[in-house]
Amino acid sequence: MWHIAKRELYDNLNSLRFALATVLLFGLMLTNAVVHLREHPVRVQKYHDAITESLNRLRARTDLYEIAQWGPELLHKKPSPLHFCTDGGDIVLPGTIYQSVSRITNDLYTFWYLSYRYRTPNSKNIRPATIKVDWEFVIGYVLSLIAILFTFDSISGERERGTLRLMLANSIPRHTVLLGKFLGALISISAPLTLAVLMNLLIISVSNNVQLDAEAWRRLGIVFFVAVLYLCLFLALGLLVSSRVQQNATSLVILLLIWVSFVVFIPSTLASIASGFSNPMTYDEYRERHDRLYSELGDEYNARLQGTRELPTERMQLTGEYVTKGAARGERLSHERLNQEHAQIQLARSVTRISPVAIVQHLIEAFAGTGFERHRQFVENVQDYAREYREFVGDMDRADPDSPHTIGVREGMSKKPVNPEAVPKFEDRLSLSRDFNTAAVDLLLLVLFFVVFFSGAYLAFVRVEV
Amino acid sequence: MLLTLIRRELLDNLMTFRFAAAVFITLLLVVANTVVLLKDYEQRLTAYNTATQESYQRLREEKTYSYYIGKLVAHRPPNPLSIFNLGLDKQVGNKINVYHGFVPTIWDAEKHRSDNPFLNLFTSIDIALVFQGILSLLALIFAYDALAGERERGTLRLVLTHPIRRGYILFAKYISAMLCLLVPLLISLLLSIVLLTTSTTIFLSTNDFLRLGGIVLTSLLYVSLFYLIGMWISAMTRRTSTALMLCMFVWGFLVLVYPNLILTAVEITPQPDTQASAYNQIKQMWEEFDRENKQLLRNDPVLGPLSRDGEGWGFYVEGGEYTFGMSEDKPSILLYFFQTGFYAGKIGAESEPQVPRLQNYYRFYNRETVNTVQRTWLVREPALEAIYIHPANLGRTLLKFSPAGLYDAATEAWAGTNLEDIQDFFNAVQRYRRAVLDYFDDEKIFESRQWFAADHGTADWDALPQFSFQRSGVDVNAKRALPDLFLLLMTNLILFTVIFLIFVRSEV
Repeated sequence: MWHIAKRELYDNLNSLRFALATVLLFGLMLTNAVVHLREHPVRVQKYHDAITESLNRLRARTDLYEIAQWGPELLHKKPSPLHFCTDGGDIVLPGTIYQSVSRITNDLYTFWYLSYRYRTPNSKNIRPATIKVDWEFVIGYVLSLIAILFTFDSISGERERGTLRLMLANSIPRHTVLLGKFLGALISISAPLTLAVLMNLLIISVSNNVQLDAEAWRRLGIVFFVAVLYLCLFLALGLLVSSRVQQNATSLVILLLIWVSFVVFIPSTLASIASGFSNPMTYDEYRERHDRLYSELGDEYNARLQGTRELPTERMQLTGEYVTKGAARGERLSHERLNQEHAQIQLARSVTRISPVAIVQHLIEAFAGTGFERHRQFVENVQDYAREYREFVGDMDRADPDSPHTIGVREGMSKKPVNPEAVPKFEDRLSLSRDFNTAAVDLLLLVLFFVVFFSGAYLAFVRVEV
Repeated sequence: MLLTLIRRELLDNLMTFRFAAAVFITLLLVVANTVVLLKDYEQRLTAYNTATQESYQRLREEKTYSYYIGKLVAHRPPNPLSIFNLGLDKQVGNKINVYHGFVPTIWDAEKHRSDNPFLNLFTSIDIALVFQGILSLLALIFAYDALAGERERGTLRLVLTHPIRRGYILFAKYISAMLCLLVPLLISLLLSIVLLTTSTTIFLSTNDFLRLGGIVLTSLLYVSLFYLIGMWISAMTRRTSTALMLCMFVWGFLVLVYPNLILTAVEITPQPDTQASAYNQIKQMWEEFDRENKQLLRNDPVLGPLSRDGEGWGFYVEGGEYTFGMSEDKPSILLYFFQTGFYAGKIGAESEPQVPRLQNYYRFYNRETVNTVQRTWLVREPALEAIYIHPANLGRTLLKFSPAGLYDAATEAWAGTNLEDIQDFFNAVQRYRRAVLDYFDDEKIFESRQWFAADHGTADWDALPQFSFQRSGVDVNAKRALPDLFLLLMTNLILFTVIFLIFVRSEV
């Protein structure tokens, strides 16, 4: 087997396709590294400026009521240091979560709540639309194309030349031949890939501007593993088609058409079709429910206020109740809308898993900390933080014995100045184990695809007539 | 003789598996994407109609003239041909305020509420993109063994024993392959047009069909270019396998790698310095105007002084219900302005003597505002040009080194979704703003009582000039597509000549 693998390897190393593939991979990875070094510091700087500004505004507040009323300012998504692995559509995802207050009656506003408003960040962009040259592009598109070009003739070609018959005349089991061919192609592609990746990482890590910590390296390791698995998948597909088909040309045509449809077109088309199946709350619907909610709350409040005309404490408590209730309801509503929107995308993304390239995209996004799943984690982090922040307000108020403990009204809350340093700060975190959990399905699917294709190739090759 | 050759080649090509597979895939993708894009277009059209209706009504709810920002809105209708090449049609804002406080540009525009903004994560695939990817691949697959294959099989020698000119053979091969490639192109285009006509929302005019004709022509040149590239490679190489490999790498590079690589690699982000200096200049002009304005008010015996600290901008008028400020401060798009105003339902009797004075003041204020906007525009326009348009155009020019980029640019121009067509719309909005201002001037609305008070007659919005936007005619589309079309044609001719020269001299 090793003999066959070695023979394949030598064959490949001398070929034109090997040279071209190597040049292509190196060129792309080099560009990727250079562009990352140019863009990443800007991104990080922007993020730091933004959080410094938010923090300064947060620090300027010492009054507990103000803190409770206006909330924690803008919360920003932390850019991933592994942005060069994949852009993940970050350009169209909101990087900031805003807070709102809503009006209950003419002069009564709710406390802050998370409203998940977003701008459409891409509408100022008049540049031609392109895919960013990142690892995802190199692996998803280029590597799979190279894999096909390396394997389409591996069996049909030998059959055309008649060397297959020659080889099988020796006492080598067929599966060994197949495995040898597979390994040969795998090694001859992963060698330049590995070198290109190493060069890319070398350039990136040598620079002072970008720091990669131990966890980042672990993540990169996983991404590389995914890349190799994906490569194996396409090699197996190539072998499968190549052993089923009599002619080189036919084999290549089939493979290319499969590749073009599954890699280039199917993911977007399917996603667009699948997203038509669910109808999340539209903005107008949301607006209508929002307005109805607050007018109802306002009426209810006014009605109950009539009964407390002479009772200042109860009046205060009532106001406090509505201020906090209004915020909670508003947040629930916007959260409902966000969940529906996320569910729509989630569904579309699940459907695209038919295409291996979509699976790989999801995997790389998950481990590089960009893209949609990352955005969901950011939203979760923000929600956790919102809880922590509200608890902090409650705790501060409880700690003051002079306070009437009615949160929601200035007179009802502690007047003690709050140490701005004690206010919880938002920290956007990533956890590898969570990413691993979300990625597990995709990883298993990728393995499954590989196993299916490889066993298909095995069966086809064993039964083939020479 | 030529006909015999063509017939032979045609049959050869038509009977192959690759042909059937390619037709099938093209049809499938075109139909699936037409359905998706049609639905998307309908959604955008509904959003456009609702928004137009809404702003029409909202404008008429206003009683005074001054508060018309956000109510006088120009909407950009979606382009039905965006199904063929989406271009910038969906990406760029389609709702723009018309106001005397700023000159409307692409960057000031907003979008109609799209339903789920996260859907932008999925790229939309238009029909031009399907053709761009699949037809080019198909052309190469047809071409790679056109010469090398015959040479390998020895049939070329056989054919050349007949008294046929070599040029004829080339020509026959070319014609028959192009005829074959026309089949998937035309069938899928026809299918998608049939799908479009089933929709009640899309109405294709004669001009649109001419534009579609332009797209077909461009597609033909594009496909032919790839066929010729394949043939060139085939003529240069001895073996089909080498030709095939080269063809595939060339395809991967030209269609997939180069467009993305060049736009990623070439830095086309705006220079922060030009941006900051232009923004500061604009801001200074406005601040100067503000100082002048405050100075005037402070010294005014009737209206002034302003509020106690002299900093506010509301003057006290009996019956005034609210004051408002309009401002935008967006350094990234060099937008900065502020406007103040107030609304009086019914001006009180004591303040009645002030009214002529107020009218006079607003005459000055509004005229000065318009002048300031004009002055800032002189700075803003070239700066925006340098920051956004030039880099974008540079990117587009660089893309044209690949036939895929040329094809995209030309079909965009035919469909009317490229940058120039979008700019046409914003130029129309700018002209409309000018027309509204002229109307305000002529009818003395800036200094009218209805500018701020609703008691002596209210604003007459129906007399205002109406906004209308006509998409540029076919001739303009053709003119915009022509340079790219010409480039495609020239490359075709050059390649054909090169192949001819190589083939004529080659030994069989």
